[in-house]
Amino acid sequence: MRRIEPKEAHIKPLPVPDADSQVYWDGLREGRLLLQHCNTCGHVQFYQQDICRHCGGEALERRAASGRGVVHSFSVVHRAPGPAFKQDTPYAVLLVELAEGPRMISSLVGGDPMAVEFDMAVELVCESINDQVVLPRFRPTGA
Amino acid sequence: MFDTRPASSSRPSLRSIRGRAAIVTAGRSAVGRVPGRSTLALACDAAKAALADAGIERGAIDGVLTSVAFAAPFHRFSVAFSEYFGIVPTFSNTLQVSGATAATMFNIAAAAVAGGLAENVLVLGADSLLTGLSPDLALRSMTESRDQQYEMPFGIPVANTFAMTAHRHMKEFGTTAEQFAKVAVIHREHAMRTPGAQTTEPITVDDVLSSGWVTTPYHKLDCSLISDGAAAFVVSSADRVGEFKSKPIYILGAGECYTHEHIFLMPSLTTTGAVQSSAKAYAMAGCTPSDIDVAGVYDCFTGTVIMMLEDLGFCPKGEGGRFVDDRQITYGGSIPCNTHGGLLSFAHPGMPGSLLHFLEVVEQLRGRCGNRQVLGAELGLVHSLGAGFATQATTILGTEATL
Repeated sequence: MRRIEPKEAHIKPLPVPDADSQVYWDGLREGRLLLQHCNTCGHVQFYQQDICRHCGGEALERRAASGRGVVHSFSVVHRAPGPAFKQDTPYAVLLVELAEGPRMISSLVGGDPMAVEFDMAVELVCESINDQVVLPRFRPTGA
Repeated sequence: MFDTRPASSSRPSLRSIRGRAAIVTAGRSAVGRVPGRSTLALACDAAKAALADAGIERGAIDGVLTSVAFAAPFHRFSVAFSEYFGIVPTFSNTLQVSGATAATMFNIAAAAVAGGLAENVLVLGADSLLTGLSPDLALRSMTESRDQQYEMPFGIPVANTFAMTAHRHMKEFGTTAEQFAKVAVIHREHAMRTPGAQTTEPITVDDVLSSGWVTTPYHKLDCSLISDGAAAFVVSSADRVGEFKSKPIYILGAGECYTHEHIFLMPSLTTTGAVQSSAKAYAMAGCTPSDIDVAGVYDCFTGTVIMMLEDLGFCPKGEGGRFVDDRQITYGGSIPCNTHGGLLSFAHPGMPGSLLHFLEVVEQLRGRCGNRQVLGAELGLVHSLGAGFATQATTILGTEATL
């Protein structure tokens, strides 16, 4: 992992794809949140990896998620983890349960962080950070 | 695999470490704000205190197990410490499973002396999180603890992972902010009786609730301290405890569990791997939660304690909030916990933090706690955890009478 130096402290950490995840980050650049479906046992998993975590099988198929989910839990950050996120506070970190089953970490866009509730319906927003990176974020459904 | 059936109380099974190793001494450095002492110097302070207490010569230490240290980022802290301390161990490792490391060190030390890898293992942790971090190390400690691809881009501090579990606990079981706050209040009451504690000002539930948000549902006073400090112990084979002048405290049960790495793959946000780690430890020790006289329960946040009281079997699932409200975790209650004040009020120097729970439980079992003594304490439990409940380790300790 690349280390963050103090002179870069104001820069938000961005994902550096690896051999497993390159296809996931490429998919987001095309507006698709890719999940893996196991053709052996039917398990659906997030994140992209080489084997099915449930049965150990290798026959995995990538399919785009619907982008719909609900807030399984959340926490509104008032004290940021470092200078890069300070100007964003308060912001809501979401533990989203996707309609397909897997959960993922994201954060809220386009809504009041203090108005987030359990089981609130949210939908995917592919947010371009730069030429290379698109982050999967979520907004209240219909917002 | 350890034998998970209850071990015979008279003749320990070769496949269990029950009663085969003992903590023969324990000591610590100054804790809290300790400027002007390097992390390795704090480690030496703790080791010297422990050795002096039992009359053990430095040269008798042939094994060293330590955690890593943020402020002294040696890849092999156990080896760096041995050089600094002037010893040449023939068994050593530097362990890293976040906050659970403390209990794993005792479990592994017990297995090592039972299996003949070493005679006298020094178990040690030290760090200087309050006064010893350079700006770059402080930044790293805040930003590099979660996954770089799937967690950190969303600005998730480690506190946030614990906060999301507590939040869900409120939703599922009706646990309240006041009940979380009560955990902090009781820990502060305990710290006020403990010489050397970092925080000793009395606090109320209202003080906690008005201390400002850190990450919902946690306020500043729901969060543990940031401290300097070190603690050290010697674990020896049970057949050698007569060589030392201090009262041995036996390791009776050990268990660990690792359910996930990423918070989004935690199987349940409200029931953790502490269920499995403690079940394994109870089975090995041959006891049940109601047999435990005194406990050290990892208290990085107030809600963590409530969830662990349930998962360790001290109260039913979902009842942790009411259990704390009824003051069951202090003197006169069913399981006095963290009688030194814990990470919330005594000190939290990072990975050594849970070693301070061990120190307190060992001292309680030796009957050396003065006006905070839990009378008649013979059987103790320490539970260490870390990384948003990803890592869990339990150790059960007892006096000679419990063998």
